[in-house]
Amino acid sequence: MTPERYKQIGKLYHLALELEPEQRGTFLDLACADDEQLRREVEALLKSDSEAESFLASPAIDLAAKQLAEEQLLAKVGSRVGHYRLLSLLGAGGMGEVYLAEDTRLDRKVALKLLPEAFTKNEDRLRRFVREAKAASALNHPNIITIHEIGQAGQSHYITTEYIHGETLRELLHRRKMTIIESLDVAIQAASALAAAHQAGIVHRDIKPENIMVRRDGYVKVLDFGLAKLTEQQPRTSDTSAPTVARIDTAPGTVLGTANYMSPEQAQGRAVDARADIFSLGAVIYEMVSGRPPFEGESSGEIIASILKTEPAPLARFAPEAPGELQRIVSKALRKDREERYQTTKDLLIDLKSLREELAFQERLERSIGPESSGARAIDSGGAAVATAASAAAQTGESAVRTTSSAEYIITEIKRHKVGTLVSLVVLALAVAGLVAYLHARNTEVAIESIAVLPFENFSNDPDAEYISDGIAESVINSLTRLTNLKVIPRSIAFRYKGNQGDLQKIGAELGVNAVLTGRVIQRGDNLTISVELDDVRYGNQLWGEQYNRKVGDLLAMQREISSEVSQRLRVQLTGEERQKLAKGSTENPEAYQLYLRGNYYVSQFTKDGMRKGIDYFNQAIALDPNYALAYDGLAYDYCNMVGWYLPANECMPRAKDAAMRALAIDETLATAHLSLAIVAQWYDWDWASADRQFKRAIELNPKNQRIHGYYSWFLIEALSRVDEAIEEGKQSVELDPVSPEGYNFLGFTFVFARRYDQAIEQLRKGIEQDSTFWLNHDFLGRAYEASGRLPEAIAEFQRALQLENGNGENWSNLAHAYALLGKRSEAQKILDHLKDLSAQNYIDPYFIAAIYSGLRDKEQAFAWLERAYAARSFAPAFYLKSDPQMDWLRADPQFAEIQRRIGFPH
Amino acid sequence: MPLPSTAHITQLLVAWSDGDQAALEELTPLIYEELHRLASQYMSRERAGHTLQTSALVNEAFIRLIDWKNVRWQNRAHFFAVSAQLMRRILVDFARARNYAKRGGAAHKVSLDETALVSQSRREDLVALDDALKTLAELDERQSRVVDLRFFGGLSLEEIAEVLKVSVGTVRRDWSMARAWLHSQLNKV
Repeated sequence: MTPERYKQIGKLYHLALELEPEQRGTFLDLACADDEQLRREVEALLKSDSEAESFLASPAIDLAAKQLAEEQLLAKVGSRVGHYRLLSLLGAGGMGEVYLAEDTRLDRKVALKLLPEAFTKNEDRLRRFVREAKAASALNHPNIITIHEIGQAGQSHYITTEYIHGETLRELLHRRKMTIIESLDVAIQAASALAAAHQAGIVHRDIKPENIMVRRDGYVKVLDFGLAKLTEQQPRTSDTSAPTVARIDTAPGTVLGTANYMSPEQAQGRAVDARADIFSLGAVIYEMVSGRPPFEGESSGEIIASILKTEPAPLARFAPEAPGELQRIVSKALRKDREERYQTTKDLLIDLKSLREELAFQERLERSIGPESSGARAIDSGGAAVATAASAAAQTGESAVRTTSSAEYIITEIKRHKVGTLVSLVVLALAVAGLVAYLHARNTEVAIESIAVLPFENFSNDPDAEYISDGIAESVINSLTRLTNLKVIPRSIAFRYKGNQGDLQKIGAELGVNAVLTGRVIQRGDNLTISVELDDVRYGNQLWGEQYNRKVGDLLAMQREISSEVSQRLRVQLTGEERQKLAKGSTENPEAYQLYLRGNYYVSQFTKDGMRKGIDYFNQAIALDPNYALAYDGLAYDYCNMVGWYLPANECMPRAKDAAMRALAIDETLATAHLSLAIVAQWYDWDWASADRQFKRAIELNPKNQRIHGYYSWFLIEALSRVDEAIEEGKQSVELDPVSPEGYNFLGFTFVFARRYDQAIEQLRKGIEQDSTFWLNHDFLGRAYEASGRLPEAIAEFQRALQLENGNGENWSNLAHAYALLGKRSEAQKILDHLKDLSAQNYIDPYFIAAIYSGLRDKEQAFAWLERAYAARSFAPAFYLKSDPQMDWLRADPQFAEIQRRIGFPH
Repeated sequence: MPLPSTAHITQLLVAWSDGDQAALEELTPLIYEELHRLASQYMSRERAGHTLQTSALVNEAFIRLIDWKNVRWQNRAHFFAVSAQLMRRILVDFARARNYAKRGGAAHKVSLDETALVSQSRREDLVALDDALKTLAELDERQSRVVDLRFFGGLSLEEIAEVLKVSVGTVRRDWSMARAWLHSQLNKV
């Protein structure tokens, strides 16, 4: 860039700044004409200006000092305090440092606050604080944070509380403006927390945006009850039960509470009661609605003076949409004389709630009036935009430098002839732009909380590039799923839109998401072009779009960039832990990553060939990066899938276990690797205690994984005979991803084991509705029909399963068993012969042969093959034997009980 | 920690502004000391969102560091400019040294956004800002000086106007544009 160009950009920037934000687009259209680059530069600056309110706001030395402070605080991360391990720093302040910590005894995450030594040294003060905090923790109110423990380790005093995913109201206010309804929702919850506390005789004393947490779902928790006691001095009176006095100390270097929300009585150091909290909450409501605190000043002295003397400006000055009733409520809460304020928080709460209801009613009313009236409103706001444009133009004055720039010419013209033709043209354009910008501005204010990543479209000639287009979408899904505050549509659902991505808003509505990410992949030789687009489907506007032109080798980097861009665009606030999660288990090697993607792609085909190829690709990925935890993890699960169907247990189970252990050695937090270990422990090691542990760990690490709950359901019913719990787990598995066929498979077969065949049939049918090519559902549905005596339907299902997958002994065995029950012995016999042939190329689990003989009522052969299955440590005895209806005919025999005894099921 | 004498610091700054390079070596540790003092105050201070306290703190730091009254009036503009540059140099070196020390680990850079005490690890840091300022100086020398004086020197817009002998409005426009441009530079992919 040249200085001349910079000057040109500067001129347009300043001119645009003088306009209302919504008018700038049209202005730039006119001013930049065809110079797209110029327009982009100016827009980038305008965007920076609006985002950068706090950028460079405090001097450099201050920032450098902050850096140092942070480093010193971060140094504690990893150390232990009592039985807690500090995981990351959540924040620091006058009341101490707050860490995310792990309770090593109860194995849960907590927030741990280390109290500053300066305050805990005074034992009397500490005792009063502990008493207050204990009283507060006894309140047990949904909007009051739960205190777990108030403890001491060495010199350190600490409090642990539940850990809340969310942000403080301060952070929220800093991020964006709140709507009236949102403000009321927060106010109501905070007031209800305070009302409960006040009723128990507890005054918070330090209500401010920093002490109110807002979860992503809008749920509010009030923090730090009683903590203010720590900073208070001894009461002036000798009566120790009297309310205490706030400390206001303006000497440099001492800690100050936030003066902005302090009640006049606190500011004057007078006795404090519940009405002080009412005042502070009033100040907080004022700030939520108007965007600024009611009392401001350059110093705490000035703020206090303002609290004592000044009436805050009416809300309407900053928030014209604020209803008069809200002004009345806030004014009443902010009365200087507490006798004139709301006397109880309950009264305040009642007023807040009825206003909230009234607004909700109005909203419903407006919506039901329909589109015509909203058109009228649109014209209204268009009119407003015209008015503002005109007044902005009028106010600008004559000081602007005259140049030949067309933009300035236009602006100058607006100034000169307010009613000229050119003006009406421009103003009309500005009005339209203003309206559009207004509509857009509305939605950017609301953070996006859910997203669907659709499979990227493969625009290459080479169908082989599909592993890239599918894989990259899948990786982005996986990365985003690890973020706590974002609902991500599971792969199985998102991928149903493969090749069918016409109307994004419709898709968004169907999936119930705010945003949709789509992409196209074009591969030509070694060159890869990936275009991605992130759309807010609620309003149909694009939030972000980007094209990456790279080499195939850069795939990995691109995937990371996309995930991180998306999370930024969605304004997802990543915690340090989450950033780590995004990167964990992955590889730095782009080739290994590609191989891993290929592996996943083939495994998802759920065929013998796919599973084989999966093993190959995962192994190749591992060869390139021996520390690639996800590749080991994929390998382990792949082996678990093959057992009994395509490989003998003693060949694949030890490998699955080995791979899972390696994955966990690199990253202990890989839930699915724990799942693989659990499967091996149950199916192969017959180590029920270990299986139970691994399942529980897997669920703890990822409570949202459908498969983990599904396999756990099977374990509960088959190994532990805990039927009700098993059904619950199975239901959870379905709920976690109701459009995937797998959840119904888990729940359906749990119902088969539970002998509740009608329910089994219902679930398995639902699974087939979701995806009729997932053959295991046909197989299990056949079993359910068979067990309930509906043999023809059973045979039809088994045949369907075989059409989809005929290399699998289980599918053949099922069909043979049903034939045998139907009396078609020769058909069954033919399948037996076929399986003997098939066993030359494919492992056939002896258990499936035993099942056919059981159907043929050949007890001797049935037991002989069951013994072989036992000796081969087939997965089936541990998995099927206990409840398999196909074996019912053998159950009465002592030999059956003997085999069960040897397997050693827990009692 | 004994506080460095303000008279002494002022003397050193004047010496440096008069071209005495040795004064820098003496000044650096004094400013580092001040940094550590400020840092420990931060650790015992309410987090986030307290612009008021922050700026009070920094004014205090500057008052502490420099005995303004004894600076000769005719040198004032020059002195301010030079002090700001000096502060920039020391702080950028400080940031560079710390970034370097942590390279390879999870580099945790200071955010230029004053809202968060515990900052997100962002691309921007003092070192990157320094580089961007150098580019800015080539595009618009005066804008880069405004940033120096305000961000590193802690001067108000009015003071800057006085130093640069332009109107306050011009300084305000320079500051707005420079800040937006730097922000966009530092947030580029």
